[in-house]
Amino acid sequence: MSRYLILIILNAPLVIAGMLNALVSYKTGKINCKRATVQFIIWVIILAGIVSVKFIYEYLFSNHLTQTEPLSLFDVIEITGIILILFIANRTRIKLENLERTVYDIHQELSIRTSLEKKK
Amino acid sequence: MKNGSQKKIGIVIPAYNEEKEILNVIDNVNKKFKGKFSSYNIIVVDDGSDDETAKLASKTNAVVIRHILNMGSGRATATGLSYAYQNNFDVVATLDADGQHDPVDALTGINILIDKNYDLLIGSRLLDNTGMPTAKIIGNKGLSFITYLLFGINLTDSQSGLRIFSKRSLSELKWKTSGYEFCSEMLWRANQLNLKINEFPIKAIYTEYSMTKGQNNWNAFNIIRALITRRIVELFGE
Repeated sequence: MSRYLILIILNAPLVIAGMLNALVSYKTGKINCKRATVQFIIWVIILAGIVSVKFIYEYLFSNHLTQTEPLSLFDVIEITGIILILFIANRTRIKLENLERTVYDIHQELSIRTSLEKKK
Repeated sequence: MKNGSQKKIGIVIPAYNEEKEILNVIDNVNKKFKGKFSSYNIIVVDDGSDDETAKLASKTNAVVIRHILNMGSGRATATGLSYAYQNNFDVVATLDADGQHDPVDALTGINILIDKNYDLLIGSRLLDNTGMPTAKIIGNKGLSFITYLLFGINLTDSQSGLRIFSKRSLSELKWKTSGYEFCSEMLWRANQLNLKINEFPIKAIYTEYSMTKGQNNWNAFNIIRALITRRIVELFGE
């Protein structure tokens, strides 16, 4: 299977989800028509970019605008950095969720107690 | 061991800006529950409404808990159930505040739960969907299918607001989401806890008012997104 086709298959669902998200936000009244249109256009441009990536790459390559080594030390560091950031992001998410849970519990208890106090 | 009629029953009604309907709902519950159980309490959880919902409900026999902030339907339900647990209720039913549910169905569900020893009983509008708008049928069937795909729970109406909880459910069942997606997440958590879950048929009353409240089909996409996110992120740890 062509690498370009794989790229499209992997990325198209994300782009479609982005378009759907813009549409749903508009239909549920979270954003206005103008903002939804802008978001939709951005996703259409991204989709067009992904679909025509082969032509873009061929153009850049034929004009010597992209020439890289197979795998440089920089690539290794970069990939490690990305994985590390994902790890940190996940740890932060867990901490945030625990904090959110604590806030929910405090709010819940406060609501129950203040409501019952008022009734007395 | 208490028999069915001796059990302490709670009816939790999460409400947000429901001043038009809340008194009718409370009145209906009182009419249908009076004399059926030795003790029943109505618990209205006002989720930070801007209108007179809490004030009106306070004039009745209901216990009114007022959320300081608007936290969403999931958190309002959790607050009601937490109150019921703290006050030693045996069985609790949740009802929507828009008048969509007939309290007789809650009564039926409570009796089924007690008789069959279930932990969580869902009132399904789709076991007999006569009179239900087609858009609602499609939306609810779609969300139930997504719930099945993501969490492996095969129920016909995963989004129903009429639910009956046993004492064990009150003490153990917790969920993380705060919006309408809590309906599906609750089933997932119940399944993880090996609670005995089942469903029973109910009739939903669709009035012009109740159609304007609750979930619209477009919101289903937000629910699906939240559920998928929750399913994926929990792969990386809770």
